[in-house]
Amino acid sequence: MPDEPTTPVIEFRDVCFRVERTPVLSRVSLQVNRGETLVLLGRSGSGKTTTLKLVNRLVTPSSGEVRVNGISNAQVDVIHLRRGIGYVLQEAGLFPHFTVERNIGIVPHIEGWSAGRIRARVQELLQLVGLSGEFVSRYPHQLSGGQRQRVGVARALAADPEILLMDEPFGALDPLTRDELQREFLSLQRRLHKTVIFVTHDLREALRLGSRIALMEAGKLVTVLAPQEFLKSSDPWASAYVRAFGDGLETAANRGTS
Amino acid sequence: MNVVRFMLQNRTQVLELTSEHLWLVGLSTALAVLIGVPLGILISRRASLNKPVLASANIIQTIPSLALFGFLLPVPWLGARSERLAILALTLYALLPIIRNTFTGIRGVDPAVVEAGRGMGLTESQLLFQVQLPLAVSVILSGIRVAIVISVGLATIAAAIGAGGLGEFIFRGLAMVDNRVILAGAIPAAILALLADLGVGWLEGRLRPR
Amino acid sequence: MMRLPGIFAVLLMVAMVALLLSCSSSHGDRIVVGSKNFTESFILGELIAQQIETHTHLKVERRFYLAGTYICQQAILAGRIDIYPEYTGTALTVILKEPSGRDGTEVYQRVKHEYESRFGLTLGPAFGFNNTFAMEIRGAEARRLNIHALSQAAAFAPEWRAGFGYEFLERPDGYRGLVATYGLRFAETPRVMDLGLLARALKDHQIDLAGGNATDGLIPAFDLFVLEDDRHYFPPYQAVPVLREQTIRQHPEVGRALADLNDKISDTEMQQMNYAVDSQHRDTRDVVREFLREKQLLP
Repeated sequence: MPDEPTTPVIEFRDVCFRVERTPVLSRVSLQVNRGETLVLLGRSGSGKTTTLKLVNRLVTPSSGEVRVNGISNAQVDVIHLRRGIGYVLQEAGLFPHFTVERNIGIVPHIEGWSAGRIRARVQELLQLVGLSGEFVSRYPHQLSGGQRQRVGVARALAADPEILLMDEPFGALDPLTRDELQREFLSLQRRLHKTVIFVTHDLREALRLGSRIALMEAGKLVTVLAPQEFLKSSDPWASAYVRAFGDGLETAANRGTS
Repeated sequence: MNVVRFMLQNRTQVLELTSEHLWLVGLSTALAVLIGVPLGILISRRASLNKPVLASANIIQTIPSLALFGFLLPVPWLGARSERLAILALTLYALLPIIRNTFTGIRGVDPAVVEAGRGMGLTESQLLFQVQLPLAVSVILSGIRVAIVISVGLATIAAAIGAGGLGEFIFRGLAMVDNRVILAGAIPAAILALLADLGVGWLEGRLRPR
Repeated sequence: MMRLPGIFAVLLMVAMVALLLSCSSSHGDRIVVGSKNFTESFILGELIAQQIETHTHLKVERRFYLAGTYICQQAILAGRIDIYPEYTGTALTVILKEPSGRDGTEVYQRVKHEYESRFGLTLGPAFGFNNTFAMEIRGAEARRLNIHALSQAAAFAPEWRAGFGYEFLERPDGYRGLVATYGLRFAETPRVMDLGLLARALKDHQIDLAGGNATDGLIPAFDLFVLEDDRHYFPPYQAVPVLREQTIRQHPEVGRALADLNDKISDTEMQQMNYAVDSQHRDTRDVVREFLREKQLLP
């Protein structure tokens, strides 16, 4: 089979971002391929969330270019762009005054889907994220943290976007629930093959979930490696990370690649 | 009780003055909402307008009401009919609580929720009408409630410039040195204020996001 | 949870209720009579009210003690009252803001015409008395000096101390014009006094000339004499009922009832009624009823 040049789904070309002359991101160049889960790993202030937000243009670059499916972000209609990208935040950011059903169905709704089609899709998604159909009429405040995050993921997937942006989605959950949701994420990815950018500061999570890990520090992209290579990497920052996280990382890395 | 008997004997007038009062308060509050809520929304989006608008509304608040009525009397169209003047003044006084609470209410919406909405592709107006306003409505109503209660009180002063309402009983009673007449104005006014406070307060509670 | 449209619906309903409640600018079968907040206005208001009550089938509501000319004007324009007693001079200078005139009939016609064309209001027939400024001296003095007019007083003014109310001294058509018109010079600078105390001060020889009102009840009571304004300096202040044209149109019987009151009250009779209410503390309703009976206006 001849090698077809495949356009990366998401591409960062030499992106800089400054806030009033303070550099937040410096010369980030990155490619995300179809179907992969790219983890942005770094500590607080490393610029990983900013990088994420550049994709759905919640933030615009000071210089350089962000491309989605080959087209520069700056040139497309931002609303159209965002509706084609699923966005999951920490603490879900669910609309507290909407039921689960209205929350999940928000993008289909503003895209003009019929009520019946939305209802069916909501049921489908609830099943996908492991919640029973009776959740439709509940309100976010009636849900547990884990349930809220599941709804958040369902909401992000509602209009079947090809890209998912996830900003530390499991960060505020207890370890058991986090483990559960990570497992379910992997199973979901196997089924759906979405292109995902996943932000976390947790190396274990990164090793488990990512097809590649992009390590960021102080606004710079340090290195991009597959999980196994990351563990063996001699890069100072990478190894510092590995050391900080102690044992059991091999298992995490292995689980991720199965 | 003397007062009750007096009010029953003169119930037509009590009702008439009460309805005049309601008209003054109702129209001015409606106008203040129509002007104040959009202004509050505007300043919540443009930080630069925040201080000047709130400061202006604040200054208006500090002018003693009778003085404001007095300033406006010579103005041609307004002074010709004192209800116009009274309604303008009452509207101005109602602006500050409404603008401020709209501003606070919208700013008070969880930024994560707003960002989630924006990130998902809601347009700014969809964000405003489907997310921010519904979540802010309880706080906005609280501002409206304060405005109404203030207005009910201020409208009694409007009688001093001939705009009618329950204040007329109060001023007449003072001139006649007749407590029953004074109370026939003061009591319904107090009841109106209470009812508004309780009624809108109940609505606020129902609409508060959980 | 109530959706946004629901809230607006509630607000709209409340606004509509308020609107409906206030849409009663016509009072149906009721006439609302207003008055200002001093005794004479109160008496005239009661007079109008009782006259209408006894001569028509209409119910009358009283909205008395309204605090001043502006308030009454606003109330009648807004339809909150249908009738109230006013003075032609006041209507001309305070409401119409025009310079006053000398001739009573001319002023009356001018006011009536302006009110009809500008405000949709009209004047009923005058009650008969002229509550203009009154320069009073003790009755005994008047008889002793055998004077009855202000022009005659000029000769004696240098021996007199005068007292006036604050407003009269300040108004351009008050004290200054008076002394200019009659060439008056008093023994000393006139005293500023509370209007209510002027008559008593005059009686007690604390002053010798007081600037009061023509229908003050204390004039007959204290045997005071009003010097005639023979040079017609003071503008006319004839008492008249002001009415809404709409009221007269809807209830012509009101016009007929008020016509009966034309010229029925002389200066002296008004003084007596004022005295009865102010000094004798009699009930206004009784005083008015008695007056109507005397004039054979009770059916």
